[in-house]
Amino acid sequence: MAEIDWFPLTLSLRVALIATAFVVIFGVALGWLLARHRFFGRELLDAAVTLPLVLPPTVLGYYLLIVLGHRSPIGNAIEAITGHSLVFTWEGAVVAAAIGALPLMVKTSRAAIAAVDTNLEDAARTLGESELKVFWRVTMPLASRGIIAAAMLAFARALGDFGATLMVAGNIPGRTQTAAIAIFDAAQAGRDNYALVLVFILSAVALVLVYSTNKLTAGHR
Amino acid sequence: MTLSVRIKKALRTSGSRASARGGEERGAAAQGFSLDVEFDVPPGFTILFGASGSGKTTTLKSISGIVSPDSGRIAIGDEVLFDSSEQKDLPIRKRGVGYVFQDLALFPHLTARANVEFGMTRLSRADRRRKAEAMMEALRISHTAARKPREVSGGEAQRVALARALAHQPRILLLDEPLSAIDEATKRGIIADLKSINRELRLPIIYVTHSRQEAVSLGERVIVYEQGRVVASGEPISVFGTPVTASVARLTGVENIFSAKVIGKSEEAGIMTVEVSDAEGSCRVDVPFGNESLGERVTLAVPSGDILLATEEPRSTSLRNRMRGTITAIDDDLNRTIVRVNAGVIWSASVTRQAVSELGLSRNQEVWLAFKTHSCYLLDRSA
Repeated sequence: MAEIDWFPLTLSLRVALIATAFVVIFGVALGWLLARHRFFGRELLDAAVTLPLVLPPTVLGYYLLIVLGHRSPIGNAIEAITGHSLVFTWEGAVVAAAIGALPLMVKTSRAAIAAVDTNLEDAARTLGESELKVFWRVTMPLASRGIIAAAMLAFARALGDFGATLMVAGNIPGRTQTAAIAIFDAAQAGRDNYALVLVFILSAVALVLVYSTNKLTAGHR
Repeated sequence: MTLSVRIKKALRTSGSRASARGGEERGAAAQGFSLDVEFDVPPGFTILFGASGSGKTTTLKSISGIVSPDSGRIAIGDEVLFDSSEQKDLPIRKRGVGYVFQDLALFPHLTARANVEFGMTRLSRADRRRKAEAMMEALRISHTAARKPREVSGGEAQRVALARALAHQPRILLLDEPLSAIDEATKRGIIADLKSINRELRLPIIYVTHSRQEAVSLGERVIVYEQGRVVASGEPISVFGTPVTASVARLTGVENIFSAKVIGKSEEAGIMTVEVSDAEGSCRVDVPFGNESLGERVTLAVPSGDILLATEEPRSTSLRNRMRGTITAIDDDLNRTIVRVNAGVIWSASVTRQAVSELGLSRNQEVWLAFKTHSCYLLDRSA
């Protein structure tokens, strides 16, 4: 077999891990907000967060281009801070992957947290604990299964992002070519052996993740 | 230190109330009545007695701060926990309230000991452990320390919840139907423990129940709830002995409640006669003289424990009401036996099991019922 270019896989791994880290933090926070607090515009927020799940990937990618590009205040701010634009960089791929994975994380976290009996949280409060302690010592441990499962799913999703990543980060071999994009590229160019290797590895990872997720959330208690 | 409570709260089915903490309406079982109560809780047991959904749990949640009243004032001595006129609403964790929830709310992911230790974060680990162990020892559950809540029995779980509420030395204790899912024998044990805790700590304790038996064994004071209002309060004996409304009567085990019509009055004899009738028959009962007029419809209540049964006609007694009837059923409950007698309408007499066997009572037997006029109560219209 010819020498295998591992870069797309290592890049995908790096992108997915960082994206998942952000997604877990924001996703759990949003999930908690939606599950436990009632406020004006709550369901609107939920809809906005769910949007990336149903938008065509290129539409999402286009929106990201607008937001991160030269003509947007956000894009300019990022360039001022980091020295370069996020467009056509692997960091842009992180953003695309994160946006794609966020809805999954938020929805699953919200459900996991909503499933925690509020009586337990109230009991913790009557025993003198602050809101933060109630969250970490009661809500989180009891919602942990669901949240870990959500994180795994988010990682799987981030690993495989294609459309939005392609638009934002481009297809620059050795720089922004993630595994999913490399497969597309290889299939187009007829490099089927290479494509197969990548396909096989990504499938195996996805299978392991889905299996673990199911085991975590299957009947326990 | 006395707890003083004044609460007004509109209760609705889940939906809109923003005044509840956390944004979600909790525990309001009712559809559209409002809670409007005012009472004091001195040290000792005060029983909140009433049917499910009458606002007792919401009262506890208001006192603990889990739910915020629409208006009112809640204070322990001089320290104000809630006052709507001063916009004061102390957060739950600062109120020093020990709360045993109806479903116990034990943390399932922690051991019994960790549950009891929970919350006393200002103390060192060693102190926390000592306090928890002392409390568990006092409630005789030291052996459950390393077990999770799902691994202990109902009675033990109840005690763990109690230990947890008491370990952090609360200023008041709230118990929401603590004995509802427990068998008789275990109940007696826990009641004994509660009594000794009460003797030792002398805290205001609010005990919610719909069991008359628990109210009578524990209560130094009973407050009867109905549809969000207090309809009676006082010592158990007087509250249960002299029901003021039909619903209180029903709640407190007065089984004989009938619709009747005043058919005779004699001020000088000091009695009125009413006629009770239903589809099957009727009978006449003499009741104490009152303000009702001839022909007026009234509601008659006679406590089942006030009715005497005899196998021959009781003569030479002061019992004005004597009637002959046939036993239709004998219902043996663990605590008492009710004999149902058809004497025109069906009366329920509460007697001891021993009396039943001594008199040789059985179905279809002819017996005499007898009771004094003073055991007859004419209730308020509110049924």
